[in-house]
Amino acid sequence: MNIKNTQHTVLYEKNTLVNSYETQEKITWCSGCGNHAIRNALIDALALENLTQQDVILCYDIGCNGNEADKITANTLHGLHGRVLPLAAGVKLAQPNTVVIAQAGDGATFSEGIGHLVHAVRSDYPLVFLLHNNHNYALTTGQPSALTPCGAKRSATDGHTPQRPLHPMQLIMSLEPSFYARGFSGEREQLTELIRHGIHHHGFACVEVLQSCPTYAKEADNSYYWERIRQIENRTHYDINSYADALILAHEDAKNGTFHTGVLYTNTTQKSEYLHYQSTRKDLSTEPWAEVTPRDVSPLLARL
Amino acid sequence: MKRILIAGESGGGIVSTGEIVARALKNLGYWVVTEREFPSLIQGGHASYSVSFADEPLYGLSQRCDILLSLSKIGLQSFLPRLIDGGYLVHGYERLSGIQPELAECERRRIQVVHVRSREKAMELGGTELVKNMILLGMLWKTLGLPLPALESEITQQFGSKPALLAVDLTCAQWGYSAVQQQKSLLPPTQNPPLSLLTGNHAIALGAIQAGVRLYAAYPMSPSTGILKHLAEYADAYNLIVKQAEDEITAVSLVLGANYAGTRALTATSGGGFDLMTETLSLAMITETPLVIVLCQRPGPATGLPTWTAQSDVHLALYAGHGEGARVVLSVSDPADSFTLIQTALNISEQAQVPVILLSEKQICEHLYTVETSSLEAFPIERNLTAEPPVAAEKPTHGLRYQLTESGISPRWVPTKAPSVFCANSDEHTPDGTLTEDASVASSMYKKRIQKLNHIRDHLIPPPEYIGPPEPNIAFIGFGSNKNIMQDVISLMSIKGVQVGYLHFPCLSPLDTKAISTLQEQCKGRIHLIEGNATGQFGQLIEQHCGPLFRGKLLKWDGRPFYQEEVIEYIEHYINS
Repeated sequence: MNIKNTQHTVLYEKNTLVNSYETQEKITWCSGCGNHAIRNALIDALALENLTQQDVILCYDIGCNGNEADKITANTLHGLHGRVLPLAAGVKLAQPNTVVIAQAGDGATFSEGIGHLVHAVRSDYPLVFLLHNNHNYALTTGQPSALTPCGAKRSATDGHTPQRPLHPMQLIMSLEPSFYARGFSGEREQLTELIRHGIHHHGFACVEVLQSCPTYAKEADNSYYWERIRQIENRTHYDINSYADALILAHEDAKNGTFHTGVLYTNTTQKSEYLHYQSTRKDLSTEPWAEVTPRDVSPLLARL
Repeated sequence: MKRILIAGESGGGIVSTGEIVARALKNLGYWVVTEREFPSLIQGGHASYSVSFADEPLYGLSQRCDILLSLSKIGLQSFLPRLIDGGYLVHGYERLSGIQPELAECERRRIQVVHVRSREKAMELGGTELVKNMILLGMLWKTLGLPLPALESEITQQFGSKPALLAVDLTCAQWGYSAVQQQKSLLPPTQNPPLSLLTGNHAIALGAIQAGVRLYAAYPMSPSTGILKHLAEYADAYNLIVKQAEDEITAVSLVLGANYAGTRALTATSGGGFDLMTETLSLAMITETPLVIVLCQRPGPATGLPTWTAQSDVHLALYAGHGEGARVVLSVSDPADSFTLIQTALNISEQAQVPVILLSEKQICEHLYTVETSSLEAFPIERNLTAEPPVAAEKPTHGLRYQLTESGISPRWVPTKAPSVFCANSDEHTPDGTLTEDASVASSMYKKRIQKLNHIRDHLIPPPEYIGPPEPNIAFIGFGSNKNIMQDVISLMSIKGVQVGYLHFPCLSPLDTKAISTLQEQCKGRIHLIEGNATGQFGQLIEQHCGPLFRGKLLKWDGRPFYQEEVIEYIEHYINS
């Protein structure tokens, strides 16, 4: 399916499936926070993919993103700081036919959760991972994260972040992921399409979302991003299936302070560890959640 | 009852030799208990494998052996002191001049020496140096007067996959058997019920499969690694997902996520790995997600004694994790209840939606025990799932996953498989999972979760078991592998006219205090604690509930299990004073 050409306008006001994800709960994010748009893009993507509450489980880390867990009518699992990837992988292993979407911020993902990130990429779990990148720990009131630009003003520092930042695409591309996309909370329709691409991908679909945080990352408002964003379609001689092209792009963006957006890399030929686990289950049509029945181990006991 | 000690070096074929002896004896109908001592390295360093066997029920270990089968000089020197006076030494050294002091000791202590030059002969018969172990096995078998076919058949089992090697192994065993004089004429028992020989880790793996576990995730750590190894071996046959995770946090997170999504998943670790799992234990408490962690104990702190045994993580299991909530701590005593208690643990964790920690110990995890085959019992699976979640009229989209009930246990269903949604929230929440900071709701939810313990204690846990005569002269309370040594000691002391009782707890928490009150009525002032740690951790829990109780405490923390001599000495000291 070629999602890129799908024409749609913002659905959230008229589509019943979109409405089914809404709740009466009061949203608790700041006014102007990128999370509002990310949430709407997610709901639009689910509705455009015709996914109902019976088709999807949403997993949340701790951070501002996690405050969505009870503000959306969906099956949700709100876990611990930095741990959402293994938690979501567990959900997916139990329900392989369910779409599992994990969300976490840059604070958790690139500090406490960095080991989980590395191994989730390596294992290529078929999850959509929405990386909310707002360059700070917002829920704890604006400390620098590992992605905060050097010198940026944050709390709990002497005024300016002293260390150089990690660049998420550079780091993740070094791990040979099977999918990397980047969107922006200010560009909701594109973000919706990127999430849909992620849902269609058969491995670990990392969608980095540049997220404005008007409260704590004041240097990076929407206009900051608009100046630096480049559409990947406009880059000449770029092949989204070329690992070399993606590595060069990641390096250039990090060096130049630019952000290319779009699906930046896909590799659909990668053999994932996740599929290896399924090799022990090749003749089964059932899923592990439905298989909890007594297994006869008497042939094994007889050998003892 | 006889005890054989095989002594040698790590990497010298000691385990396969010991297992052949243990299995061959079991196949002859004997009760068998084994113990392995080995350092945390792959080659070199002295190591031993002891096989105790009897034609009557046998459960525990002794410091002494009747027969020492020595595979190397270092083994002989390290373990000769444990051979009884008048026992047998079976060895195969070429250079007898190198072990003159040991041979002199044997003469002084009337130890019979059974000897051929085994390495030379093994090479002559076409084997490598390691094959000398088969010659020594043949010599051992003849010394005991046991039938050769039982040994041959077990050697065939062990090395059947390598036919060329097998032929040499059998020739060597036969040669060793014919080369020495028979010393004993043991008659294999005929009355014993069918017995199975397995380790605790193997039993946990089998019990988990029996109980419908579909996913196992773990990080290697002694002494829990055997569970991972066994389940990986059975993954194809039972369509399991077996995941070696990148760390214990990942392992337990995968398990929690999978359990939330409706399957049965399991993890196991040792103390250090459990430390890393504790925040997820706390997550399981507030989200009321079933979670079973097998905690295989070894001595700490930190790396401690990685390949030795302990019962020192009781407090860790009882108190790990931030915040308060309900949990269950169970403890296995041998491979038989490893098989049954893992099923119980999985059931309780789903019935009450609480974390269950199943304690094991290196001595149980990694050692072969015979158990009555009939005791490897399969239990029905209890899941406590509903297909139609209740909803509140004002918010019908959301199921009342955390509905307040009398028992504190709420309806649970498989997310995506019911009409209403399931919100599992690590923040404090209302009955439908919505975040709340309301004092009264937070207070009632907190109380609901703790309150589950009453229902668990009254309806779900395995009860304490009293072993021994009524109104004993002295009684012990304990858990885990101590049950084994106490069973042997109760029989041995009863022959000496001393009545010993033992109250065994398969469930440490929530604590069933009724059996303690009963014991107190019969045996006031004569109750002692037996525990494999330095501070009497389970005893502290008991005294928190029951007040001062113990006359004395038999504690041990040197990495070794209890041996019968130590318990008997302790009892005799008290009886005589």
